[in-house]
Amino acid sequence: MKSALKRTTDTDTTSGSVTPTSNRSLAQNLAGFSTLVEGLDYAARGVTGFNFFSARGQLQHVLPYAELRRQAISTARKLLSLGLKRGERVAVVAETGPEFMAVFFGCQYAGLIPCPMPYTMYIGGKDSYIDRVAGMLAAAKAQTVVTGEDLLGHITEGAARAGARRILTHAELQALPEAATKLEPFRAHEDAYIQYSSGSTSNPKGVLISQAAILSNTRGILQDGMRITPEDRAFSWLPLYHDMGLVGFCLSAAMGQVSVDFLATSSFARRPALWLKLMSDNKSTITYSPSFGYDLAARRINGDAVTLDLSRLRIAGIGGDMVRADVLEGFAAHMSVAGFRPQAFLPSYGMAETTLAISFVDPDAPIRVDSIDRLALKLEGRAVPAQGSNARSFVVCGRPMAGSTVEIRGERGETLGARAVGRIFVRTPSVMSGYYHNHEATAAVVGQDGFLDTGDMGYWLDGEIVITGRAKDLILHNGRNIWPQDIEWAAEQIEPLRSGDVAAFAVENDEGDDEVTVLVQCRLQDEASIESLRHEVSAVVHRSAGVECKVVMVPPKSLPFTSSGKLSRAAAKQKFLSGEIAELSVLPLIDGASRFEAAF
Amino acid sequence: MTDTVTQLCTLLEPFNGNGTVISATTDISTDLNIDSVTVMDFVMEVEDHFDIEIPLNVLSETRTVADLAKVVEARTRKG
Repeated sequence: MKSALKRTTDTDTTSGSVTPTSNRSLAQNLAGFSTLVEGLDYAARGVTGFNFFSARGQLQHVLPYAELRRQAISTARKLLSLGLKRGERVAVVAETGPEFMAVFFGCQYAGLIPCPMPYTMYIGGKDSYIDRVAGMLAAAKAQTVVTGEDLLGHITEGAARAGARRILTHAELQALPEAATKLEPFRAHEDAYIQYSSGSTSNPKGVLISQAAILSNTRGILQDGMRITPEDRAFSWLPLYHDMGLVGFCLSAAMGQVSVDFLATSSFARRPALWLKLMSDNKSTITYSPSFGYDLAARRINGDAVTLDLSRLRIAGIGGDMVRADVLEGFAAHMSVAGFRPQAFLPSYGMAETTLAISFVDPDAPIRVDSIDRLALKLEGRAVPAQGSNARSFVVCGRPMAGSTVEIRGERGETLGARAVGRIFVRTPSVMSGYYHNHEATAAVVGQDGFLDTGDMGYWLDGEIVITGRAKDLILHNGRNIWPQDIEWAAEQIEPLRSGDVAAFAVENDEGDDEVTVLVQCRLQDEASIESLRHEVSAVVHRSAGVECKVVMVPPKSLPFTSSGKLSRAAAKQKFLSGEIAELSVLPLIDGASRFEAAF
Repeated sequence: MTDTVTQLCTLLEPFNGNGTVISATTDISTDLNIDSVTVMDFVMEVEDHFDIEIPLNVLSETRTVADLAKVVEARTRKG
C-alpha cells in the first residue's frame, strides 16, 4: 500500500518559512479591542500571521499580519474606487488563501460588509451551487461579487439570476486604482460581516454579525474557551465560509495574534492524513474539526502514525456536529503512538447565530460522557443514568462562556433543572444583529427577552450543557446542515411527483449517525417504473445535497400534514418508524397472477 | 473504450459498493451510491495516478466516467 503522505513537487511554492509562533517584542492581547481593524492593526505590529499549504502539503503563501494589513488597506482603497457606499455588501468566494483574507479585512477598513460565500466541492454539483449562490446574493442584496478565476463562470450565472451586476476576479480587483479618500474603518457600534450558515438553499438567511458581537465572541474563545498563550499555534482545514472556520480559526486567531497554518478544505477532503502530518511538522497546539474529520484522518494515516509527533497538541476541538465519543476514542487509540493525548479533545457548542461559541468544556479536563436510558429520553424527556444496551451516550459540552446565560426550557416555556430535556435558549453579547433584511425570521428565533431559540434540545448536568439533538427538522451530515426542504423540492421536480409527495428526514442508525431517509408517495404500478423513480430520486438528492439516501416508496395520501397544510416531517418520521406508513415495495413481490387479480 | 476510460474504471472499482457495472456512461456521483467525501477519495486516486490536479470548478461539471476521461486527457496533454 502506498503511503498516505506521498508528496510530489508543487509548481507554485514559496521557498520561505512559516510565520513564527510567538511575538518576541509584542505583548499578547487576547481580543481587548473594539473592532476587527483595531485588532489587526495591533497584530500587524508583530511577526505572527497566516500560512497556506498546498494540496500536496507544500508551503505556498506566507501572510504575516503586517502584510495582511498592508494588503487589506490597499484592497479597501481599490474597493472604494468602485464608488461603493458605506455598509454595502461585498460577496466574496471564501477560498482558503491570501486573496480572500485581503478582501475580508479590506472591507473592514473600507466600511463595507463582506459576505463570505462557499465554493463548489461536489462532483457534478454545478447546478445546485449556482442556485445556492443566487439565493445568497439575493438575501444579502449584494451588488458586488469577488471570486477566483476558476469559479468565474459559475458565479456569473448565479449573479445574473440574483441581479448582482458587478463581478470581479481577484486579479481584476487588484488591478483597480486606489481611491485617494481617507479610509473610515467600521467603528465599534457598526456591523462587521454577514455569515451564511442558516436557511435552505431556496431561502438562505444571512446572519448579520456586529463588531461588538465578533469581538465579544473571539474574546470568550481566546480567554475562557482555549486559554491561549504565546506558545500556541493553530491549524485549520475548516472552510472559511463556515462560522467555525471563519470565527474560530481566522478572526479569533487574528484578534489574539496567533499564527495559523491553513490547508484548504478541498485538500483535506482529498488527503485527510495531510492534516495530521502538517500539524506534526508545524508543532501545532490547537486544531478543530467535526467528529467525522478525526475519523477520516485516523483511517487514512495507516502505518504513518508512528512517524508523527502530536504531543504538543493541547486542544483538539470538536464542533459542528453531534460529538461522537466512540469516534474520538478510536482516533485517540490510533494516534497514541504519535504522542496524542486524549485530554486534548475539547467538546464545545455553538452556532452562527451567536457568532460561533456558546459553551466550552474546561480545556484541561478529559472528555466526560453521560450514559442515559433511551426510552426515558424518548418518552418522558428525562436523562436517566443507565448502562447496557438500552443506554445512549452523550458527550458533555461544557459551561456557557462568561457573559452568556443559557436556559433549558420545557414545552410551556418553564425553565428546567438538571437532567430534564428541553429546548436550549441563550442570551449573549455575541448574538447576531438579526437575519439580514428578514425581520420575520429574526423575530421567530430571538424573543422579546433577548433570548435566542437555538433549535437544539439538551439538558443540564452539573452546570454543563449536554446536547441530545435538534428540535428543528435539520439534518446533520458530516458537519453540514442539510435542509429537508432542499431535498424535497429537488425530488418533487421529477415526473410524475408533485409538491407534497416527498418527506425527507434523518433516522439515527445504531452508530448514532444520521441516515437520510426520503419517503416518496408513489402512484406507479409496475416494478420497473418504481425502480427507475427510486433511482432518479436518489440521483437528484445526491446532486442537490451531496448525500446518499434511502428512498422509500409509500402509498399515495400516506404523508401527514398539519392543519395549516404543511408537511409534518416529525409525524411522517414517527409513523414510518412505527410501521404505520409501510413501504410500497412489498407489492412487486406478489406474483403476476395474483397482482392481476388484485387489480380487479 | 479508450485507455483512459479503462484506467478510470479500474480506479473506480474499489469504490463500487453496490456491484454496478462501470462503463464510460456511469454517473460517478449517483450511479454508485458513494457520498461526497468518498468521491474526493477517488478524485485523489485519479490525481495521483495521472499526476494531475483537477480544480473544483471542473469537478463540479463532471458527471460520467467519460466526462472525467476528457478532463484527464486535457490535463495530461498540458502537463
